[in-house]
Amino acid sequence: MADLPIWHYDTLFLILAILFGISALAMQNLMSAAIVFGAYSFLMCLIWTTMGAVDVAFTEAAVGAGVSTVFIVATIYNTGVAATPKSPRIAFKIFAGLIAFGTGAFLLSALPDLPDWGDPKSPVNSTMAPYYIANSITDARVPNIVTTVLADYRGFDTLLETTVVFIACIAIYSILRIDNAKSKVTESDIITSPPAYDPTDSLIIRQASRIMVPFMQLFALYVIAHGHYSPGGGFQGGVILGASIILLSISFDLKHVLQQWTEKKIMILTALGVLIYAMVGLACILMDGVYLDYSALDSVLPGDKAYARSHGILLVEIGVGITVMFSMIGIYINLASNGRFDKGL
Amino acid sequence: MMTGLWSMLAQGNLIKKCIGMAIFQTGIILFFISIGAKNDALIPILTEGANHTFDNPNIDKVTNPLTQILMLTAIVVGVATLGVGLALAQKVYQQHDSFDEDEILNNQTK
Repeated sequence: MADLPIWHYDTLFLILAILFGISALAMQNLMSAAIVFGAYSFLMCLIWTTMGAVDVAFTEAAVGAGVSTVFIVATIYNTGVAATPKSPRIAFKIFAGLIAFGTGAFLLSALPDLPDWGDPKSPVNSTMAPYYIANSITDARVPNIVTTVLADYRGFDTLLETTVVFIACIAIYSILRIDNAKSKVTESDIITSPPAYDPTDSLIIRQASRIMVPFMQLFALYVIAHGHYSPGGGFQGGVILGASIILLSISFDLKHVLQQWTEKKIMILTALGVLIYAMVGLACILMDGVYLDYSALDSVLPGDKAYARSHGILLVEIGVGITVMFSMIGIYINLASNGRFDKGL
Repeated sequence: MMTGLWSMLAQGNLIKKCIGMAIFQTGIILFFISIGAKNDALIPILTEGANHTFDNPNIDKVTNPLTQILMLTAIVVGVATLGVGLALAQKVYQQHDSFDEDEILNNQTK
């Protein structure tokens, strides 16, 4: 197996991925375009795996192939499926093709200046990364270096990334959310012609998802808690938790889910995740440390300073997981119900 | 990546523009991951092995974790921005009854 150059797989997957990408954009039916885009994401996920980026592959599988496809499908469900071009606009497309091709050629011309593929001594691989690899165990007792870098060494980065997800969630609320009282006025503007099938009346889908959801949630909790030792962490676990609730609201009814997870609850919990993250950082300051330096927490957390960092990472990952879970649910509900929070797919 | 850029420019349909944006993004992620890859390297999860111990890992044989975490967060932020884009597209559809750029422009000039 070691004799086989990894490039063989890579080239095959890459060619397939480009084909899928082009065909997703060439589809006339938007629903099929969304599904082909999901397949494209899965292929990219295989490419990440062959390059050794298992955490990225996990995220791509959960986010790219799972949730973003669902978002596109939810949008299409509320609007229209067909993408018939009204005017061919061939001249414009050729012009755009030239610009894209020119940019690509320009970037490819820089290719000889890049270090060789897989060179361990290239600038990217030889400046900061060796420190992370060498010290992850001694500093935080976490074998999964990606988790350590994510939540400890580059904790600020992740805090702000989580905030970006939260802000995007707020933006979608402010774009789409319509109060029920107001929506009566704009009723005529809203399109009431979803595709002609009723997805809520399938007994098999209901029962299957009823059985699947608890296992999905259990797996997601495992992914968050076991992110120190295996691929996974707050982002992936949060997305899977969100996906389990989205599955419930697709197979049953949006009302069914909203009885348990009211809009207010979802909003508060989305904010709570960011708050947990920020408060862990603040607690470090109060315990005479630097912001997000979890080793300051060793008097309240079990174990020595290194284990305190390990537990601090876990606390932060829980915060990330909560924010990502509820912002995914919030975005989905807004997209699926046209911002009215009454009925969805 | 070129496919994504082309689609963002040339496709009239707003949903296809969003898909193009996501494809564009994976192109950039591919670049980052590939410069972080190393020949014959293991995944960035440390294990006890023959030439490889917990406390003293062989740095040349572990894939660069830094580019990976940057891209991991980029994917999650990417799906959030995709959601914002789709929300805007949906709002445009409510106003103009179409995803097609030309039709939207025609509606506005009317």
